[in-house]
Amino acid sequence: MGALLVRRVGRLGVSADGRVVAWRGPDSGAPIGVPLVDLLDRVLATGVVIEGDLVIAIAEVPLVRLSLRALLASVSDKVPAPWDDGGPL
Amino acid sequence: MSIADLAPARKAAAATVTGIAGSDRGETLTCVFAVRGGGEALAASASASACAGYSDAAGAPYLLPLGESGSGLWAVAQDVPAARYAEQALRERLADHTELEAMARMHHEAVSSSAAVGPVVPLPLATLFTDRDRARETLSQQVTRFRAVLDRVRGREEWAVKVYANAAANAEAAAAAAANEGASGTAKATRTTGRVSGSAYLDRVRSRQRDRQARQDAALACAARVDDAIRALAVDAVRRRPHGPDITGRHRPQILNAAYLLDVDRTDEFNAAIASIKAGEAGEAERAPIEIEVSGPWVPYSFVESGGSA
Repeated sequence: MGALLVRRVGRLGVSADGRVVAWRGPDSGAPIGVPLVDLLDRVLATGVVIEGDLVIAIAEVPLVRLSLRALLASVSDKVPAPWDDGGPL
Repeated sequence: MSIADLAPARKAAAATVTGIAGSDRGETLTCVFAVRGGGEALAASASASACAGYSDAAGAPYLLPLGESGSGLWAVAQDVPAARYAEQALRERLADHTELEAMARMHHEAVSSSAAVGPVVPLPLATLFTDRDRARETLSQQVTRFRAVLDRVRGREEWAVKVYANAAANAEAAAAAAANEGASGTAKATRTTGRVSGSAYLDRVRSRQRDRQARQDAALACAARVDDAIRALAVDAVRRRPHGPDITGRHRPQILNAAYLLDVDRTDEFNAAIASIKAGEAGEAERAPIEIEVSGPWVPYSFVESGGSA
């Protein structure tokens, strides 16, 4: 499995051609530099939600989730219309 | 602020908690980061060294066997101080964005480092149980579901692709259109002959609206082409709500926020497709109507719900 890890990192190093903005991914073991907005999209909004314990209280109270999002201003609370500021004119 | 900056304060806080809780060893909760498969040997080899966890925890992460003995499913877990992770304390901490960021990054590091030795099912941030027995009992009820997800994500990775309308290109197009209007003499006619100024003004407004609509349509069509091209390579795809202007910047509207589940073997094709799209869009005009942003590979966070497809 170690070989798999090396192969994957090597593959990315070869294939990233400068036009593709790719960081080395979770395999690098260096989470600092992982794009925060992308990270929050995943860590807060996805994953298998397990029912039946403390999890519910923390992760499923809508007010908690909303306040977290609002505080970080990382995930929009509403679906923004593109060009809702009237566009580039 | 980075996690490195936070580390001294966090260690101090953890020491205080340990001092308080030292008299009562029951004052910990069990946090689970992910579920993974693997035999006893794999579990033993990776358990101690390979997985990162919370820096203020009561101990290192460990593997908790799920289901019946020999089921080959493990929860990647860590015992954490209740004084910092019980509901009220956690709410207060998560309301602080530096704490939230630190926790999210540590959670991600734990999930990602577990994934280095095989597929994992990531669980959401702060999935907490009162103790190891409760964690094991609850998660063991989902063994079938976890197996299905592990089969689904094995050998696959998630890539994030975001597309923005290129406001700079749009502004240039608008300026060019305005310059053309001036050159055509419309503006001059408007100023010198009062009778036609009203209709000329309306023509100009309508013309600008048409141009703007055309640019919007062009950008959305570009985004759709990106989505189609990557979807063709992907096992599955998810479109999220685009981020608002408070995140992306007012003049950089996001028009696609998608995630794709790709076989690891198709990474090269994916990169080539993105590069080709960028080259193609750039070739259509002086400035491409869109910007494309790629991040990854991610552990397949977005594809672990049953069904998963959007």
